[in-house]
Amino acid sequence: MIVVSPVLFGFLRMKRYGDHRIPGRLFVVEGIDGSGKSTQLMLLHQWLKAEGYGVVFSEWNSSPLVKDTTKRGKKKQLLTPATFSLIHATDFADRTERNIIPLLKAGAVVLCDRYIYTAFARDASRGMDPEWIRELYAFAVRPTVGFYFRVPLEVAMKRISDARAGFKFYEAGMDLGLSDDPDESFRLFQGRILEEYDKMIPEFGLTVIDATLPIETQQQEMRLMVLAKLTQAKQLRVAP
Amino acid sequence: MKESYGVRLPGLELDDLVGKLIVLEGTDGVGRSTQIRLLKEWLEQQGHAVLDTGLTRSGLVGKGIKRAKEGHTLGRITLTLFYATDFADRLENEIVPALRAGFVVLTDRYIYSLMARSMVRGLDSVWVRNIHRFAPKPDAVFYLRISVDELIPRAVFTRGFDYWESGMDLYSAEDMYDSFRKYQTALLQQFDQLAEEFSFDVIDARPDPRVIFEQLKAGIDRILTPPLGRAALAIPSGTPEAGEEVAVEDAPEERRKRA
Repeated sequence: MIVVSPVLFGFLRMKRYGDHRIPGRLFVVEGIDGSGKSTQLMLLHQWLKAEGYGVVFSEWNSSPLVKDTTKRGKKKQLLTPATFSLIHATDFADRTERNIIPLLKAGAVVLCDRYIYTAFARDASRGMDPEWIRELYAFAVRPTVGFYFRVPLEVAMKRISDARAGFKFYEAGMDLGLSDDPDESFRLFQGRILEEYDKMIPEFGLTVIDATLPIETQQQEMRLMVLAKLTQAKQLRVAP
Repeated sequence: MKESYGVRLPGLELDDLVGKLIVLEGTDGVGRSTQIRLLKEWLEQQGHAVLDTGLTRSGLVGKGIKRAKEGHTLGRITLTLFYATDFADRLENEIVPALRAGFVVLTDRYIYSLMARSMVRGLDSVWVRNIHRFAPKPDAVFYLRISVDELIPRAVFTRGFDYWESGMDLYSAEDMYDSFRKYQTALLQQFDQLAEEFSFDVIDARPDPRVIFEQLKAGIDRILTPPLGRAALAIPSGTPEAGEEVAVEDAPEERRKRA
């Protein structure tokens, strides 16, 4: 079968989801827009910093190498479900290879606002083969805890419309032609995404947080879970 | 009329594609682009509309890849996915529409080169194969095969050693020559395995380009239906064979030299 040996070519085999043994801790937040996950992650970040942990924040869709291509593709609406999926996987791969893995090896606490589950939910909602997408992201590090902020669609819609005017083209799933009205399209698309998230809770063992509870209560739950994982870790880096 | 390697992309029907998809594979410097040029001209003379295409030419990411490679900063997983994005973009916007319109699509490299490069870099073969499963199965894959020893003089005396073609991202401590030899050896091993797995037509790339061209023509003839049928092609002043000979001598490069 495959003759490439790591010894001969001086290259290590790719590690798959769940195979990484690294000292750092990875906490990720997931949920639809308006679920409040970013706020919760920011609060967790502040607390970890105050506790003296070496903590790094990594955002979805932020690799400097790939960002320009993604931006151009979105602006000019060049992306199909396939290229949308692949360009986001490319972006995530760049962050994983250059950022997330080295940081975790160094013993950092890494926080991600959105992770591979976002891609699984969105891409499946766009009609991509769910098995194919899961294998596409097989190089990802399995998070220490994946938090899923569950919120009813109506609550999320209300929060978003209070905060800003209008939805972006891909955010509202306008490329799918579900509806010509951005609000209606957003509702339909996010509804699909919610269904996909629900399927993933048992599949990936996501930790569900009720995102309709008061912000302080949610944060308390989050910190307790994180604390339990940090006290087990022996080699965490302390912030300089 | 066409099927993929197992994954269907939303909105991309393959069963109404009437054109032919012909792939030229082979390592760097083996003479693929010369053959593509000759084949395109020959096919057009035969009355076939031809689209020639290759890697990293997509409107979406072609430039992004080139820029990123100049900085030598791409990781192996990122590189694989960047190329796959480029391929998907060309497939949807270029290759499939041309096949639907009945073109002969002549592609300089296909998913096999992408897979070979990634596997040489130690990536998981299941993962690499899965990524490319949305590609349509070609009507023919011609693999121009050469050994590393024959490849080296071509690299030295034409364009020199290229950073990526020498796999310098893998063996940065070595000089370009040692690195090139190791990298291309590993790549050829991967190609040989893929040739078996995907039943390539293997063509010896050592002889004169004209000999290779004749073999390719014969291979392509087997899968193409002439637009008018053989009988209608009989030209009073000569045999079809004579016409083909002229096509070789009239290669665009030579014509440009004469001009």
